[in-house]
Amino acid sequence: MDNEVPLPPPRRIRHRSPSRLSPAGSVASSFRKSRRLSRFDDRSSQPSSDPALFSSDDIPASGLENYHAPVAGAGRKRRYRGTWWGEQVADPKRKRADFKEKRHVDSGVWMGSDESIAESSLPSEDASNWGEDLLKTVLDPRAPSKVANAPSLVKPSDIASVPVQPRPVVLQGPVETEEHKYAKAVINECLEKGDDSVDLGEIFDLKDLKVLSLRNNKLTRIPEAIRKLTALQVLNVSMNRLHELPWDLLWLLQQGELKHFTAHPNPFPSIDESGPVEWHCQFDKSNDEDKDGEIDEADAPEVTPVPIFSDYEGTPPNDAWTPIHVATGPVTRLDMEGRPLEPNTPFNTPSTSSQPASRAPSLREVSLRAISKLPGIDQLTDLELDEFPALVIPLISLARQARQDGAQHCSICQREFIVPRARWTEWWDCTPHENGMKRPRGSGEMLRPLPFKRVGCSWACVPGGQFVE
Amino acid sequence: MADPTTSEFVTLVSCDGFEFIIPRSAACISGTIRRMLDPASKFSEALSGRCVLENLTGIVLEKVCEYFMYNEKHKDQANVPDMEIPAELCLELLMAADYLDT
Repeated sequence: MDNEVPLPPPRRIRHRSPSRLSPAGSVASSFRKSRRLSRFDDRSSQPSSDPALFSSDDIPASGLENYHAPVAGAGRKRRYRGTWWGEQVADPKRKRADFKEKRHVDSGVWMGSDESIAESSLPSEDASNWGEDLLKTVLDPRAPSKVANAPSLVKPSDIASVPVQPRPVVLQGPVETEEHKYAKAVINECLEKGDDSVDLGEIFDLKDLKVLSLRNNKLTRIPEAIRKLTALQVLNVSMNRLHELPWDLLWLLQQGELKHFTAHPNPFPSIDESGPVEWHCQFDKSNDEDKDGEIDEADAPEVTPVPIFSDYEGTPPNDAWTPIHVATGPVTRLDMEGRPLEPNTPFNTPSTSSQPASRAPSLREVSLRAISKLPGIDQLTDLELDEFPALVIPLISLARQARQDGAQHCSICQREFIVPRARWTEWWDCTPHENGMKRPRGSGEMLRPLPFKRVGCSWACVPGGQFVE
Repeated sequence: MADPTTSEFVTLVSCDGFEFIIPRSAACISGTIRRMLDPASKFSEALSGRCVLENLTGIVLEKVCEYFMYNEKHKDQANVPDMEIPAELCLELLMAADYLDT
């Protein structure tokens, strides 16, 4: 029996890829130099893909030899995620002989990215457990499966080759509710039309969604309404065309349940490409020969911004897990109709100086909030919209959009609003969330700030305004 | 009342003849009214302190004045409560807001 083929490891032992097992320090330091020069600051040890999914026969009744044996309702194969060669036994007491009895040679492999298998072997009966498996393995590789109510998982995934239109694979829970059907129809429609961006509005009504993978699509923006997914724990938006992320996503990272967030690769601009910024953390410019020591934010603008981020040497704000605010971009103020002011218009021109920055909404805003609550405003067609006076058509369409997508929230005062009055970009480092909260941010670790777009509901709701946060 | 160009209150008149007397500072939240009442402009409104708004009805102007007072009251406040707008007025108010530049 010693010549027996090596078996996959016992169930409930989750695997990690060998790259994670290697001592992080030495590899990281040897790679750091070259990576700093790279425009895409991407740590390759963090795969953007959803982990592979495997299944095995470790229930006696489901084995090959017991093919005709009565199955006591436990016919479903175990599935687990990770590499099949992954680390072996976590518990040294557990030897192979312990599970030899119940394990058979046959072991199925289920790859999540294979569309044909996805459709054939994942009938709706098992789909919910698929999401459950993904959830618990991604969040905690060792936790036993105790998730009682399986979340549904919506996964528009792509088949391997790039030019092919992304095809949706929508997996739904045991009972397909009207909501699910609707979301599925929306995704199918959007993806078949080949739009660059999917209208994700209806997905965001699935309030109990815990896992959402939008990997490898052509999304150009993530709607602010993602804020509604307060139960979300795993989010993958890699391989899209995102240049910025909504602020509401950071809100989910800070206040919500979101623990595992995959953002790279995406064509995010680097900080220095985005104009003047105000730095918020101290830098150790040890790689700069002429500057040494720490430079606080007041001095930072004098330093030529380097395309890399120096090591963060300060103490992280709360603990080593929370996102760190790295930099703030310039604020664009918008007029009462949401159009950007001329960039060279000083803020306190004579026409505006008698109107100091006020938190009170404009009358346009007040009436638009009322309009967006009108029954049927979301059903308004473009044709009907044309019958309104030309001046207010853009405003009413804003209200209609707010009704359809859910109102935006001011990122400073949290109020709902229709017409944004200010917008700016902030860079936050979310490294611990990117590795699934598996390890905290080490001191001296390179920061990888992500751009988050913030909007304010009034000119007082800007960074450094009179009531910041 | 003293000199109407500097008096503390101004009069807004709707097209159907309703008059609303409100503080000048509140009325000047509207860009249009502010320019009408600018003493440098020498408009008749500036000289008399009385603005006739030909395209606003009394009902709408009443709500507009309510908004002016609401804005005046809450402009320095951190948490501004919502202002209730009846559904039947909101489209007309949007037009008024556009006209009054506020």
